[in-house]
Order: sequence, then C-alpha cells, then structure tokens
Amino acid sequence: MNILTSLAVGILFAAGIYQILRRNVIRAAIGLVLISNAVNLFLFSTGAYNGQAAAYSTATAQISDPLPQALVLTAIVISMGGFAFVLSLLYVISTRYKTSDSDEVKGLKN
Amino acid sequence: MDTAFLFLPLLLPLIGVPITLFLRNYRRIQAFTALGLMLTALGFSFGLLRTVQTTLAPVQFQLGLWQAPFGITLAADLLSVFMLIMAQLVLCAGLVYALGSTEKVVQYPTFYPLFLALSGGLSGAFITGDIFNLFVFAEIIVISGAALTAIADDKYGVEAAYKYFYISTLASVFFLLGVGSLYVSYGTLNYADLAARIAENPSAPLRLTGMAFLTATFLIKSATFPFHFWQPDFHAAAPSAVSAMLSSLVVKIGVYGFFRMTTLLFATEADMLKTLLVVLGVVGVLYGGFGALGTHNAKRMLAYSTLAQIGFILVGIGWGTPLSLAAALVFTFNHAIIKAAMLMLAGAMASRAAVKSASFDVIVGVGKYHPFAGVLFLIGSMALAGIPPLNGFISKLMIFWSGVEAEQYLSLAIIGVASIITLVYIIRAFTRVWFEANPEVKLKPGDQLVAPTILIALALLLGIWSEPLVSFAQMTAAWMLAPASYITAILGGG
Repeated sequence: MNILTSLAVGILFAAGIYQILRRNVIRAAIGLVLISNAVNLFLFSTGAYNGQAAAYSTATAQISDPLPQALVLTAIVISMGGFAFVLSLLYVISTRYKTSDSDEVKGLKN
Repeated sequence: MDTAFLFLPLLLPLIGVPITLFLRNYRRIQAFTALGLMLTALGFSFGLLRTVQTTLAPVQFQLGLWQAPFGITLAADLLSVFMLIMAQLVLCAGLVYALGSTEKVVQYPTFYPLFLALSGGLSGAFITGDIFNLFVFAEIIVISGAALTAIADDKYGVEAAYKYFYISTLASVFFLLGVGSLYVSYGTLNYADLAARIAENPSAPLRLTGMAFLTATFLIKSATFPFHFWQPDFHAAAPSAVSAMLSSLVVKIGVYGFFRMTTLLFATEADMLKTLLVVLGVVGVLYGGFGALGTHNAKRMLAYSTLAQIGFILVGIGWGTPLSLAAALVFTFNHAIIKAAMLMLAGAMASRAAVKSASFDVIVGVGKYHPFAGVLFLIGSMALAGIPPLNGFISKLMIFWSGVEAEQYLSLAIIGVASIITLVYIIRAFTRVWFEANPEVKLKPGDQLVAPTILIALALLLGIWSEPLVSFAQMTAAWMLAPASYITAILGGG
C-alpha cells in the first residue's frame, strides 16, 4: 500500500509538472490541479497508515491520526476555489487575447 | 479583555467582508464602513501592543479550547504585534487612498470586500501560531490580491493576476509539501511545539526537506531573487491603492516567515539558511537596483526598488545578531510606510496624466501643476535613498552599523555601494516628472493626496523621533533570540 501511494504521488507529480510546462494555458491549469492533488495525497499519506480504529471509537486498537484528513479537506477546498479562479481568469484571457497559447499572452512585455 | 484585543484585529476585517458585500449598492457607506472597521481594528492592535509590551509574554488563545499543541493557537508575541501594527497602519492609509481615488476599479461592488479580505488575511497570517493556519491565511491573501489586480483599470491586469496566481499556487504547493514533511517527522503543526521538537531531535529524516520547501515558499512570497520574476509585472499592473499594499505588505509575509524560521523553528541550526539569505539578499539589492535603473515606468521602478529593499532586510536577518535583527525589523516597518506612500504618489500622478499610465513617457512634466505632490515625492525619495532626517536613514544606518558590528565587511560593502543606486533612479524619476517641460500637460483632477501625505508625515516623524520604534525593535529582537520563552509561554500556559 505504501509503495502504491508513493507511486501514485510520484506519477501525479510528474504528469502535473509535464502539463504545467506546456504552452497551452488550459493544459497548464490542468497541470496545476494534478499537482495539487498529488500534494493532497502526500499530505494524506503522512498519517494514513498509522492506526486501525477511528479517532472517535473506544476500540483498543491503535487510534488513527485524524489531523492529516482535516488538512487534506482544507487543502482540497482551497485548491478548488483557486482552480475556479484560474479558469475564470483563463476565460477572460482567451476572450481578450483570442488565443490559448501562453507565448501569445505577452502584453506586459511592452 | 486581552483575548478581545487578540481577536478583533483579525475578526473585524473578516466580518467586514460580508457586511460590505451587503452594502454594495451604497458605495460611500460601503467605503466608510470598511475604513471604520479597519481603523477600529488598528485601535485594538495598539491595545494588543500595550498589553504585550507591558507583560512581555505573548497574548494567546487556543481555538476551541483545545490544549496548546493539539488545537490551533492564535498567539501574538512582540514580533507578531510589530508586523500587525505595520500592516494595519498601511492598510488604513490604502483605504483612505481608495476613498479619494478616481480609478474605475474602486467603484466595483467587490473592491472593498476584497480589500478587507486582504487585510484579514494579512492580520491573520501575523497572529497565528500554527503553520497550517499560516498557509490558509496566505491563500486568502493570494486570492484576494490576485482578484484585486484582475479587476484593475490597466488592461493587462488580468494577465498579471494570472501570472501571479500561478506562481503563488506553486508556492502553496511547496508550502504544503513543507508542512507535510515537518508533520511526518515531528507530528505537530504548532510553531512552539515544532520548535521544541526540532531542537530535541534535529536529525529526523524529512527535516531538511521541509526546511527547503518552506524556504522556497517564503522566497517566492517575498519575491527574492531568483524567484522575483512575477513581482514587477504584478505590482505595476495592480490598481494604485492595491499596488501600494502589495509592494509594501504582501511581500512581508515572506520576510515574516524568515524571521520565524531563523529564530524559532530552525533556531538551533539556522546557519545554512542565514548564509543563503545573506547571499540572496546581496544579489537582490544589486539586481533590484539595476532593474529599477532600466525601467521606463514609475510604478515598475518602485516595484524593482522593493526587490532591493527586501534584499537589505534579508541581509539583516541573515547576519542574525541582535542589532541586525532589530535593524531588519526597523527596515521592514519603514519600508512599508515609504513604499506605500511612493506608489500612491506615482499612482496619483498617473491618474493626472493624459493617458492613464505610470510610464515615464506619459507622466513626464505632469508635476508642473502639483508642486505639493512634488514636495511629498522628494521627501519620499530621500527616505527611500536613506538621507537624514527621514526614517529611511534610520533603517539604513542601523543595517550598516550592525554589519560593522557583525564584521561582515564584504556583504556590507556591496550593499553600501548598491544603496547609492537608489539615489540615481529616484532622482531621475523626480526630475522627469517635476522638472521636465511637457506642452501636452493640462490641469486635470486625479487621486487625492491625503493618504500619501499622512504616510510621508509619518516617515518624517519616525525619522526625527525614531527612538520608540528603534527601542521596540531592539526589545523584539532580544525576545526573538530567546525562543525558549516563546515555547514555554505557549506550551506551558495553555
């Protein structure tokens, strides 16, 4: 399970970085989502395999750590808001510059 | 009562977000509500300052009444209060500027709610005692700052906002990776608890990874070389009232992070980090100075100048002696005031130009009808370059003096030479706007000069009567260099 999780984190990261380096701004935005999901998975894995019982139960088994799950929830909500914001910016950019190629969006250079 | 002082500077701006949204149809009421809330918050921050200064212990509150390392801690020690007062002072001035601004962006229904969200995020980032909570507040700052820039009058605002948001989201990714690495090594997120556990066991496997990720995050947040590339674009395209906040306050989140990292979290073995900060600071001072020389836009020039000034602060943190830490604190405070005032003046001049732009080709000669703004700009330039009797002189004097005392002659010599560049570009800007003739200039109404006047008066006051600020900074530096008292106050007092 550990190996599977770390592989998943690694693959998500690699795919995300590859997409971020593309010139198409929409692909780059998708890369951002992939990377934030990779980070969420990483955060989740920091405490996922340390116990068998839920934190609220009275079982004698080792209690699992609920904090990473809370962190992941917060991070997911924030990254969702951020992604929505990026998409709205991209919508304005694509209507204003009539392109989705990041090399063409260079108004600030002048 | 103490906890009220702790809560209200954070809660008032955040509660103000929905309140001002409801008032969106009454623009004047909305604007004055926002200003009233921020001024009240500033008043409570001064109350907090009084309490912390007399007791010398952090005012703290455990959210949900969970005991210290388990819940989220809000804790205001001397450093937090120092940064909080700086932020809220400049934010209030920013709101005053927005009240008298002729830009279309201040008429947006969401301008004041976003501005208050930015204020709430800044206040929260400085008084939280939990590293994940710092991440949340940093995200509030990033999203509200990017949204404020995206609605700017400047037609490239959206592009600048996109660029900034992209880089900042990557910074947040680094932040989360750093937080996760530290959590997996030490099992805690509370500053005090984390510092105690790192000091106890400084060889946990992911400790250096976490430190590296946090360093990268704060370098991006403070726009330090080599992570500076988004900053001049972003600060030049933002609306005047907002760019003054971004360039003076938002970059200070990174500076605050380095203060905490070198003196609290990684206090026992911060030498590596400190060396890095000195090197990057020196490079930043040079790069920012030369970058400012090469620009053709007043706002962009000031944005590059921020890069140089952050360099001075980082060098001060990097030397790490009590005096140089105090100098870095004083520099942080003074820079916030001067840079906000200068950007507001540049914005006010741009609003009076024929085309709305801060480009030197457009605002050349605009100062002809505005001698008072010229006086303010000259005083501000002198403060930025560090000429007595202004507050910029005090901060540079303290930095150089601490460098001599710490015997760091090489870095001292470089930043000493580089600080002369400031004088070159700032005087060039002044002569172009106020002394060159431009037949096309007409008298035109523009942004009011109330806010920059207040800030420049403050700069003058802090230059002539700098003793309270300097002694408070020295007290803060002494407090920061004794992290054990912070740790016992948080973990023992909970």
